[in-house]
Amino acid sequence: MTQGARSAGPVVWVAVITATCLLLLVFRATLWLVVPFLLALVLYYGLRPLATRLVFAGLSIEAAANVVTVAFVAIVALALMALAPWITARAVQWQHSLDRYVAAGVSLIEQTVASLELRHAVLAKAQAAATLRAQLGSLTDDFAQRHAGEFVMAAFTWAPSLLLAPFLAFFFLRDGRRFKRFLGRAVPNAYFERTLVLLHDVDRTAHAYFQGLLKLTVLDAAALALGLALLGMSAPVALGLLTAVLAWVPYVGSILGCVVVVLVAATDFPGNPSLAYGAVVLFILVRLLDDFVFMPMTIGRSLRIHPLLSVVMIFVGGALAGVAGLMLVLPVLGVVMVIGETVGRVVTDPRLRARHAHARRLRANQAAADLAA
Amino acid sequence: MLTGFTRQARAPRRWEQLAQVGIFSDLKPRELRIVDAALHERRYLEGEVIFDEGEEGQALYIVLAGRVLICRQGDTDAGRIAELGAGDFFGDLALLDDAPRAAQARAAEACRLAVFFRADFMSLLETHAVIASRVSLQLARHIGRRLRGMNRKYLGADA
Repeated sequence: MTQGARSAGPVVWVAVITATCLLLLVFRATLWLVVPFLLALVLYYGLRPLATRLVFAGLSIEAAANVVTVAFVAIVALALMALAPWITARAVQWQHSLDRYVAAGVSLIEQTVASLELRHAVLAKAQAAATLRAQLGSLTDDFAQRHAGEFVMAAFTWAPSLLLAPFLAFFFLRDGRRFKRFLGRAVPNAYFERTLVLLHDVDRTAHAYFQGLLKLTVLDAAALALGLALLGMSAPVALGLLTAVLAWVPYVGSILGCVVVVLVAATDFPGNPSLAYGAVVLFILVRLLDDFVFMPMTIGRSLRIHPLLSVVMIFVGGALAGVAGLMLVLPVLGVVMVIGETVGRVVTDPRLRARHAHARRLRANQAAADLAA
Repeated sequence: MLTGFTRQARAPRRWEQLAQVGIFSDLKPRELRIVDAALHERRYLEGEVIFDEGEEGQALYIVLAGRVLICRQGDTDAGRIAELGAGDFFGDLALLDDAPRAAQARAAEACRLAVFFRADFMSLLETHAVIASRVSLQLARHIGRRLRGMNRKYLGADA
């Protein structure tokens, strides 16, 4: 008799964590494919409700996939066409703007350290402001000139790879069900029912994660945009959206987002550092809101991973595969966990193994039936 | 010699076979094709276990070809409950919940089965509510008939 649900044992957990680490190492080596694949998954789970509505309205799955993908590509193309003249007109300005933002950021740090020197004699004795100015100067002088080329080259290198994302998403939408059947055919009869349930679970976990991520991004962007607008910053919606997308990369993304917001605040209001401090406080408040309210409401519900394990695995992911590892570790762990727990249950079930062995004997006998004569 | 030019009798497509199955009898050809796209096909040899009594049920099975024996766990003679052929289906309660299977299913001869998972039925309820409601109605009628049969058998009354 097959047994019901059992919790996974330590061997399964070791296998799950090892498999996650190995996958992260593989992903680091194939980042050019992993990033568009991940974006395609985000796109797929974002567009799937629309495709489902079209199927509900009477379209075939293929037609719904076509309509949704073409509509998405058309919207992106129109947006790029609308933005293209604006981008080209300001391309030269951006190089100067980047220098201006960096200079404003350096100035803010210097002002902060200088005001601290006035209050703390130890810092004044150590000439902290002067030392910092000298060190920052060597790092930030001609920042844009030194790095603009690298940014442009990186954008050109990644563009073809990122174009894969809508292409992949289209095939996920159109052939996802066929792919599941194709995988199902490879599974022996004895394990078939359990394994197909596993595929459903993986799909449900990934669906919940990526839809949760999109909802979290919208909530984060809205909260940050509202806060930045109240502080009187320029382009609060664009900044909110940018920082919410950067937050997809745990820790590093949030810090980078905070730095961007502070740089903009320091540039917009050069003589008023309290606004930049206000932006930092807002960022910390939104992070807290994110960790304790939004995250449990969206992603936290989907993965059911212990918080301690999440934190440890984020560090492991970062150490193994850098920024990509930080970004990928939780969804990969979530999917590998579902696979590991179910495979562990299926493979260690003596009844299923006996049934599989029996089926193999029957097939061997059938194949050799006429050989004995 | 001429056989190469003569038209061979075409094997019925799977969705055409599904039209003969009780729970799909209300569906139109277009709807049958939609259900067909959600099914998995499996082949079993004589004596192979399809599912065990007490196992968590996840899918309904439809016999496309061959025969299937429904029996008490491991007791294929005294524990025989029913023998099903092409067009019959079994394991239908698994479409409703994951309660344990009430009996064992074994291939009485080499057979070809279509498998309809509860998760796929649930997504059909969301995407094609009309089709799913027709399947649900036929499923309810089937369960009702079985209940009346059991009443007759055990209570001697037509409830």
